[in-house]
Amino acid sequence: MTNFPAMLRALQDAGVEFIVIGGLAATAHGSARSTLDLDVVYSRSSENLERLVAALQPYHPYLRGAPPGLPFRWDAATLKRGLNFTLITDLGALDVLGEVAGGGSYEALSAFCVTLELFGTRCLCVELEKLIELKRAAGRPKDFEAIAELERLREIQEETL
Amino acid sequence: MMEIDMSPDPVIEVYKKDVDDTLLRENLKLTPEQRVRNLMALQEFIEEVQRAGRQARRQARAAAEHPAESVA
Repeated sequence: MTNFPAMLRALQDAGVEFIVIGGLAATAHGSARSTLDLDVVYSRSSENLERLVAALQPYHPYLRGAPPGLPFRWDAATLKRGLNFTLITDLGALDVLGEVAGGGSYEALSAFCVTLELFGTRCLCVELEKLIELKRAAGRPKDFEAIAELERLREIQEETL
Repeated sequence: MMEIDMSPDPVIEVYKKDVDDTLLRENLKLTPEQRVRNLMALQEFIEEVQRAGRQARRQARAAAEHPAESVA
Protein backbone atom coordinates (compact mmCIF):
# COMPACT_ATOMS: atom_id res chain seq x y z
CA MET A 1 0.00 0.00 0.00
CA THR A 2 1.26 3.49 -0.78
CA ASN A 3 1.81 5.42 2.42
CA PHE A 4 0.55 8.79 1.22
CA PRO A 5 0.72 10.51 4.64
CA ALA A 6 4.35 9.51 5.19
CA MET A 7 5.32 10.56 1.66
CA LEU A 8 3.71 13.96 2.02
CA ARG A 9 5.28 14.47 5.43
CA ALA A 10 8.73 13.48 4.16
CA LEU A 11 8.52 16.02 1.35
CA GLN A 12 7.03 18.69 3.58
CA ASP A 13 9.48 18.20 6.44
CA ALA A 14 12.42 18.58 4.05
CA GLY A 15 10.94 21.81 2.70
CA VAL A 16 10.52 20.45 -0.83
CA GLU A 17 8.58 22.72 -3.18
CA PHE A 18 6.10 20.40 -4.87
CA ILE A 19 2.56 20.26 -6.22
CA VAL A 20 0.32 17.20 -5.98
CA ILE A 21 -1.19 16.24 -9.33
CA GLY A 22 -2.59 13.03 -10.83
CA GLY A 23 -4.76 10.47 -9.10
CA LEU A 24 -4.24 11.71 -5.55
CA ALA A 25 -5.20 15.24 -6.59
CA ALA A 26 -8.30 13.75 -8.23
CA THR A 27 -9.12 11.90 -5.00
CA ALA A 28 -8.68 15.07 -2.98
CA HIS A 29 -11.14 16.81 -5.30
CA GLY A 30 -13.72 14.03 -4.85
CA SER A 31 -12.92 11.41 -7.47
CA ALA A 32 -14.13 7.90 -6.67
CA ARG A 33 -11.40 6.26 -8.75
CA SER A 34 -8.43 4.49 -7.25
CA THR A 35 -4.75 5.28 -7.65
CA LEU A 36 -1.62 3.52 -6.49
CA ASP A 37 1.01 6.22 -6.70
CA LEU A 38 1.72 9.80 -5.73
CA ASP A 39 2.50 12.18 -8.60
CA VAL A 40 4.17 15.49 -7.82
CA VAL A 41 5.63 18.31 -9.89
CA TYR A 42 8.77 19.66 -8.21
CA SER A 43 10.71 22.89 -8.54
CA ARG A 44 13.94 22.48 -10.49
CA SER A 45 15.88 25.07 -8.47
CA SER A 46 19.25 23.77 -7.24
CA GLU A 47 18.18 24.17 -3.61
CA ASN A 48 15.00 22.22 -4.19
CA LEU A 49 16.82 19.38 -5.93
CA GLU A 50 18.97 19.02 -2.81
CA ARG A 51 15.87 19.07 -0.59
CA LEU A 52 14.13 16.45 -2.74
CA VAL A 53 17.18 14.20 -2.58
CA ALA A 54 17.38 14.55 1.22
CA ALA A 55 13.63 13.95 1.64
CA LEU A 56 13.58 10.64 -0.20
CA GLN A 57 17.06 9.30 0.58
CA PRO A 58 15.93 7.43 3.75
CA TYR A 59 13.29 5.58 1.69
CA HIS A 60 15.70 4.13 -0.89
CA PRO A 61 14.23 5.50 -4.12
CA TYR A 62 14.86 3.33 -7.18
CA LEU A 63 13.62 3.44 -10.76
CA ARG A 64 10.30 1.64 -10.84
CA GLY A 65 10.34 -1.37 -13.14
CA ALA A 66 14.11 -1.26 -13.63
CA PRO A 67 15.98 -4.52 -13.16
CA PRO A 68 17.54 -4.90 -9.70
CA GLY A 69 21.20 -3.93 -9.64
CA LEU A 70 20.94 -1.29 -12.34
CA PRO A 71 23.29 1.54 -11.32
CA PHE A 72 21.14 4.39 -10.05
CA ARG A 73 22.35 7.18 -7.79
CA TRP A 74 19.69 9.23 -6.09
CA ASP A 75 21.45 12.58 -5.97
CA ALA A 76 21.08 16.13 -7.24
CA ALA A 77 23.30 15.45 -10.24
CA THR A 78 20.99 12.65 -11.38
CA LEU A 79 17.96 14.88 -10.92
CA LYS A 80 19.67 17.66 -12.85
CA ARG A 81 20.48 15.36 -15.77
CA GLY A 82 16.94 13.99 -15.91
CA LEU A 83 13.51 15.53 -15.57
CA ASN A 84 10.74 13.07 -14.75
CA PHE A 85 11.39 10.03 -12.58
CA THR A 86 9.04 7.15 -11.83
CA LEU A 87 10.25 5.76 -8.52
CA ILE A 88 9.54 2.97 -6.11
CA THR A 89 10.40 3.76 -2.51
CA ASP A 90 9.97 2.10 0.87
CA LEU A 91 6.78 4.18 1.18
CA GLY A 92 5.36 3.14 -2.19
CA ALA A 93 5.30 4.40 -5.76
CA LEU A 94 6.16 8.03 -6.38
CA ASP A 95 6.46 9.96 -9.64
CA VAL A 96 8.51 13.15 -9.40
CA LEU A 97 8.01 15.31 -12.46
CA GLY A 98 10.04 18.34 -13.46
CA GLU A 99 7.47 19.25 -16.08
CA VAL A 100 4.05 18.03 -17.03
CA ALA A 101 2.18 18.26 -20.34
CA GLY A 102 -0.35 21.08 -20.22
CA GLY A 103 1.06 22.50 -17.01
CA GLY A 104 4.73 23.07 -17.58
CA SER A 105 7.06 23.58 -14.66
CA TYR A 106 6.39 23.90 -10.91
CA GLU A 107 6.58 27.68 -11.26
CA ALA A 108 4.02 27.75 -14.09
CA LEU A 109 1.68 25.33 -12.35
CA SER A 110 1.87 27.06 -8.97
CA ALA A 111 -0.57 29.73 -10.21
CA PHE A 112 -3.26 27.04 -10.46
CA CYS A 113 -3.16 25.46 -7.04
CA VAL A 114 -5.16 25.15 -3.85
CA THR A 115 -3.64 24.50 -0.44
CA LEU A 116 -4.75 21.23 1.12
CA GLU A 117 -4.48 20.34 4.77
CA LEU A 118 -3.68 16.65 4.72
CA PHE A 119 -2.41 14.50 7.59
CA GLY A 120 -1.07 17.47 9.49
CA THR A 121 0.68 18.98 6.50
CA ARG A 122 -0.23 21.84 4.20
CA CYS A 123 0.57 21.03 0.63
CA LEU A 124 -0.16 22.51 -2.76
CA CYS A 125 -2.53 20.58 -4.97
CA VAL A 126 -3.45 21.44 -8.53
CA GLU A 127 -6.96 22.87 -8.76
CA LEU A 128 -9.71 20.84 -10.39
CA GLU A 129 -9.95 22.87 -13.61
CA LYS A 130 -6.20 22.63 -14.20
CA LEU A 131 -6.21 18.92 -13.36
CA ILE A 132 -8.75 18.39 -16.15
CA GLU A 133 -6.50 20.38 -18.51
CA LEU A 134 -3.49 18.24 -17.57
CA LYS A 135 -5.42 15.04 -18.21
CA ARG A 136 -6.66 16.37 -21.53
CA ALA A 137 -3.17 17.49 -22.53
CA ALA A 138 -1.78 14.04 -21.77
CA GLY A 139 -4.14 12.75 -24.47
CA ARG A 140 -4.12 9.16 -23.24
CA PRO A 141 -7.16 7.00 -24.02
CA LYS A 142 -6.83 5.44 -20.55
CA ASP A 143 -7.66 8.86 -19.08
CA PHE A 144 -11.02 9.24 -20.86
CA GLU A 145 -13.01 7.82 -17.93
CA ALA A 146 -11.04 9.88 -15.43
CA ILE A 147 -11.60 13.09 -17.43
CA ALA A 148 -15.32 12.36 -17.70
CA GLU A 149 -15.52 11.88 -13.94
CA LEU A 150 -13.55 15.06 -13.18
CA GLU A 151 -15.76 17.07 -15.52
CA ARG A 152 -18.86 15.66 -13.79
CA LEU A 153 -17.33 16.67 -10.45
CA ARG A 154 -16.90 20.19 -11.75
CA GLU A 155 -20.48 20.26 -13.03
CA ILE A 156 -21.89 18.97 -9.72
CA GLN A 157 -19.90 21.58 -7.83
CA GLU A 158 -21.21 24.30 -10.16
CA GLU A 159 -24.79 23.07 -9.62
CA THR A 160 -24.43 23.43 -5.86
CA LEU A 161 -22.97 26.95 -5.98
CA MET B 1 2.98 26.40 -22.80
CA MET B 2 0.82 24.36 -25.20
CA GLU B 3 -2.76 25.49 -25.86
CA ILE B 4 -5.34 22.99 -24.69
CA ASP B 5 -8.76 22.83 -26.27
CA MET B 6 -11.18 22.81 -23.33
CA SER B 7 -14.38 22.82 -25.37
CA PRO B 8 -16.70 19.84 -24.76
CA ASP B 9 -15.18 16.69 -26.23
CA PRO B 10 -17.78 14.38 -27.78
CA VAL B 11 -15.83 11.29 -26.69
CA ILE B 12 -15.68 12.47 -23.07
CA GLU B 13 -19.37 13.37 -23.19
CA VAL B 14 -20.16 9.74 -24.04
CA TYR B 15 -18.02 8.53 -21.10
CA LYS B 16 -19.82 10.94 -18.76
CA LYS B 17 -23.05 8.95 -19.14
CA ASP B 18 -21.42 6.10 -17.19
CA VAL B 19 -20.12 8.20 -14.31
CA ASP B 20 -21.83 7.30 -11.03
CA ASP B 21 -22.84 10.71 -9.70
CA THR B 22 -24.01 9.23 -6.39
CA LEU B 23 -20.42 8.25 -5.51
CA LEU B 24 -19.18 11.74 -6.36
CA ARG B 25 -21.91 13.43 -4.30
CA GLU B 26 -21.05 11.22 -1.32
CA ASN B 27 -17.35 12.03 -1.71
CA LEU B 28 -18.07 15.74 -1.86
CA LYS B 29 -19.55 15.53 1.65
CA LEU B 30 -16.11 14.49 2.95
CA THR B 31 -12.97 16.49 3.59
CA PRO B 32 -9.99 15.92 1.26
CA GLU B 33 -8.23 14.02 4.05
CA GLN B 34 -11.23 11.72 4.55
CA ARG B 35 -11.26 11.05 0.79
CA VAL B 36 -7.57 10.07 0.84
CA ARG B 37 -8.13 7.88 3.91
CA ASN B 38 -10.94 6.07 2.05
CA LEU B 39 -8.60 5.54 -0.90
CA MET B 40 -5.99 4.00 1.41
CA ALA B 41 -8.60 1.76 3.02
CA LEU B 42 -9.59 0.58 -0.46
CA GLN B 43 -5.94 -0.11 -1.33
CA GLU B 44 -5.59 -2.13 1.86
CA PHE B 45 -8.72 -4.13 1.04
CA ILE B 46 -7.51 -4.83 -2.51
CA GLU B 47 -4.16 -6.05 -1.18
CA GLU B 48 -5.97 -8.39 1.22
CA VAL B 49 -8.13 -9.78 -1.59
CA GLN B 50 -5.04 -10.29 -3.76
CA ARG B 51 -3.28 -12.08 -0.87
CA ALA B 52 -6.30 -14.36 -0.37
CA GLY B 53 -6.38 -15.07 -4.12
CA ARG B 54 -2.70 -16.04 -4.14
CA GLN B 55 -3.24 -18.33 -1.14
CA ALA B 56 -6.25 -20.00 -2.79
CA ARG B 57 -4.27 -20.62 -5.99
CA ARG B 58 -1.38 -22.11 -4.00
CA GLN B 59 -3.75 -24.44 -2.15
CA ALA B 60 -5.48 -25.48 -5.38
CA ARG B 61 -2.09 -26.23 -6.97
CA ALA B 62 -0.98 -28.24 -3.94
CA ALA B 63 -4.25 -30.19 -3.94
CA ALA B 64 -3.83 -30.99 -7.64
CA GLU B 65 -0.23 -32.15 -7.15
CA HIS B 66 -0.90 -34.20 -4.00
CA PRO B 67 -4.58 -35.23 -4.04
CA ALA B 68 -4.23 -37.83 -1.27
CA GLU B 69 -2.76 -35.32 1.22
CA SER B 70 -5.45 -32.76 0.57
CA VAL B 71 -8.18 -35.33 1.35
CA ALA B 72 -6.46 -36.29 4.60
